[in-house]
Amino acid sequence: MTNSDKTTPEHADVLIVGMGASGGTAAKVLSEAGYSVVGLERGPWLTPAKHFSGDEVKFVNRNYLWADPRIAPRTLRMSEDEVAERYPFSMVPFTVGGGTTHWAGWFPRPRESDFLQRSLHGDIPGASLVDWPFRYEHLEPYLTKVEWAFGCAGLAGADKYEPFRSAGYPTAPLPPTKFGKRFYDACNRLGINGFPIPQATISEPYRGRTPTNWTGFWNTYGDPTSTRSSTLTTFIPDAVATGNLELRPECYVREVMVGPDGRATGVLYTDADGRDVVQTANVVILCLGAIESARLMLQSTSSSFPDGIGNSSGQVGRNATFHEYVFAVGLFDEPLDGWVGNYISGGSFEFYETDESRGFINGGFIGASMTGQPGNWILPGRPAWGQSAKDADREFFGRAMKIGNTVHDLPVESNRVDLDPTVKDAWGLPVARITHRSHPNDVALSRWQVNKNAEILEAAGARKTIPVYINEGHSTGNSCHQHGTARMGTDPSKSVLNEWGQSHDVDNLFVLDGSGFPTATGVNPTLTIMANAWRCAEYIDEVYARGREAEIPREHRTSSSKVGTR
Amino acid sequence: MSSSKADWRVVVPETVDDNQPLFFSPHEWSTIEAATARIMPTDHDPGAREAGVVRFIDRYLSGITYIYAAADGSGFLELAGKEAEAWRARIFDMRHTYRCGIRDLDASAAGRSGGLDFVSLSEPEQDAALEELSGANKPDPLSFETDTIAGAFQMGAFDEGLPFFQALLLHTRQGFYGDPVYGGNRDRVGWKVIGFPGPDSLADTISGAYSLRDSYLADYSWPELIPHLRTKEARS
Repeated sequence: MTNSDKTTPEHADVLIVGMGASGGTAAKVLSEAGYSVVGLERGPWLTPAKHFSGDEVKFVNRNYLWADPRIAPRTLRMSEDEVAERYPFSMVPFTVGGGTTHWAGWFPRPRESDFLQRSLHGDIPGASLVDWPFRYEHLEPYLTKVEWAFGCAGLAGADKYEPFRSAGYPTAPLPPTKFGKRFYDACNRLGINGFPIPQATISEPYRGRTPTNWTGFWNTYGDPTSTRSSTLTTFIPDAVATGNLELRPECYVREVMVGPDGRATGVLYTDADGRDVVQTANVVILCLGAIESARLMLQSTSSSFPDGIGNSSGQVGRNATFHEYVFAVGLFDEPLDGWVGNYISGGSFEFYETDESRGFINGGFIGASMTGQPGNWILPGRPAWGQSAKDADREFFGRAMKIGNTVHDLPVESNRVDLDPTVKDAWGLPVARITHRSHPNDVALSRWQVNKNAEILEAAGARKTIPVYINEGHSTGNSCHQHGTARMGTDPSKSVLNEWGQSHDVDNLFVLDGSGFPTATGVNPTLTIMANAWRCAEYIDEVYARGREAEIPREHRTSSSKVGTR
Repeated sequence: MSSSKADWRVVVPETVDDNQPLFFSPHEWSTIEAATARIMPTDHDPGAREAGVVRFIDRYLSGITYIYAAADGSGFLELAGKEAEAWRARIFDMRHTYRCGIRDLDASAAGRSGGLDFVSLSEPEQDAALEELSGANKPDPLSFETDTIAGAFQMGAFDEGLPFFQALLLHTRQGFYGDPVYGGNRDRVGWKVIGFPGPDSLADTISGAYSLRDSYLADYSWPELIPHLRTKEARS
């Protein structure tokens, strides 16, 4: 391709929008299967050893990785009758590698109950609980594939509550930190099954990688080494190595284009030089994250889809879940070195399943974690200035730890992503507007679990504990987890995608990020997202593109779903 | 040339060794120096004044030269494209926030002293002016007797849209505790005060020369930490 024909690039078998956790996974699977793949990423393609280091000001305070809220704003409100205000809600990095460039790498597996919320709990008022269109057993082989191809650390058999796993972990757990040891000791005192949280990092040499990042600059920092697993340093190089992936960074996709037959033809994007480019492909896969994928679908209007592509159900953007991160901080007399570690050390599923005596459904997957570096170390309610502020830092910076969980929030139909009517981004397109009010179950779960976390801290010897609950009202998007805006399901009138992440309306449109999650699960979602992306990409290759029948019988099949891609 | 973040050049600013204000007037410099010294006071340990927090803030407000250090600390990134525009606009707004805030501090000072400006006040009077600005009393010590309860919040504290007092608090922490490459935390005094080892240079966090590996547990056994591993169920 020469510069002169940049605006009409060659047709591709597969076009993937978004090169993060799910896009990187789909790119690997499909380029290794021999398809020509074009990957579009709105952000830069960074080089870890050249661009990342332990710079707190840059990564934590000046948002080097996160989207700039002046370029890509979002707005937030609690209900439909409010005017949303600008708020940097759930700002996952816009960069090749996406969220896997800034994450701590929590890598737990989902549980069997996560797929069966409707069957287990029935109709919960105010919530839109459904079952997933597949179960844990369908995802399990792909969880294993991702764990071994991506690289992770864990200890098989240590989690008393873990469902079946077909293989152990590729590398051993990282050694415990001082605060991790405190956590294990307290758990043992209380009869709780503490275990090393599975983590997307390596702890020993693995597939050409060596763990060398022992700096503690971990959560929200880019890792300059190959220690932490990110798609930027694993799956994307794998895909590039096939010669079948053409990855174009700095390409901002404006709309998914639709042909007269109602099928997706490709996308229109603006490239780094400000030129508008049309990229055509047989299959279009959206992997922008649940907020941006929903936004792109909603702004891709056409005569076939006046309310946005794939949105005949009106469900695009709805039932959004965000996993608010809540926790308790403990202050101790003894040194805990809260700046040492790879963020997490020790966790438990002891409280994960429903116990009706608590008065709410589901529960928390908890983890002990660092309090972080000096400027931003976590001391909620800290004295903000003066001698008290300095004393608090001096006395407790080294003597604190926290135990937290992301709230398994229930899907609510009115919790949604749509297009803001007035606020535009730097490309002149409407931004994602978040409407979110916590379901009462979220608030009750948060309160109970945080109190339990504080109890464990007390058993660990904390002199003082500080609970941080979900705000009454709405999420702040502080976990960067996003799901549910294009649910998978079997009924095209009530869901957006089928069980393969394929649009009910548009057979050659797939959405393989967290958008498809029918319910949030209570675990950090990236492993589930990547495993599902692998599973669906394999379906695209082995079934869809070859015109075969799906492996899992489907009651609802779109009439055109057998059209091959090549 | 590409404006991509991936291609931003590393430059060493001409002013990198200066101790002169790059943005503040002399009066603004001494006002912010005095205010940050009340926010992070000097006691038996150094405070904001000794750490050079005012220099950190002055560099931040001087334009977009000192926004992002190069990963290895060898210079600063030359921002380009939309991000450069966004940062220019943000710094423009933050300068206004500071200029107005300094005027408010002086007005508050004049009101309580019969015409003196903020820097001329005694430390207790400066505290009173900061209390007025913040709309709350000077914070009490962290208490073990009363409960502290908080609502969830975002972890990375960005200064976008913050009012003056909140921005000043945040920037004081950054200038006291941030990497010395940004012009504050002189001689790593902020880190020494609270016992943070901190790297000798940002380059050491890339090469692995800065390692906390010895602060993880050395002697441990998973079956001792996790009794479940000793059960038949886990072994099978």
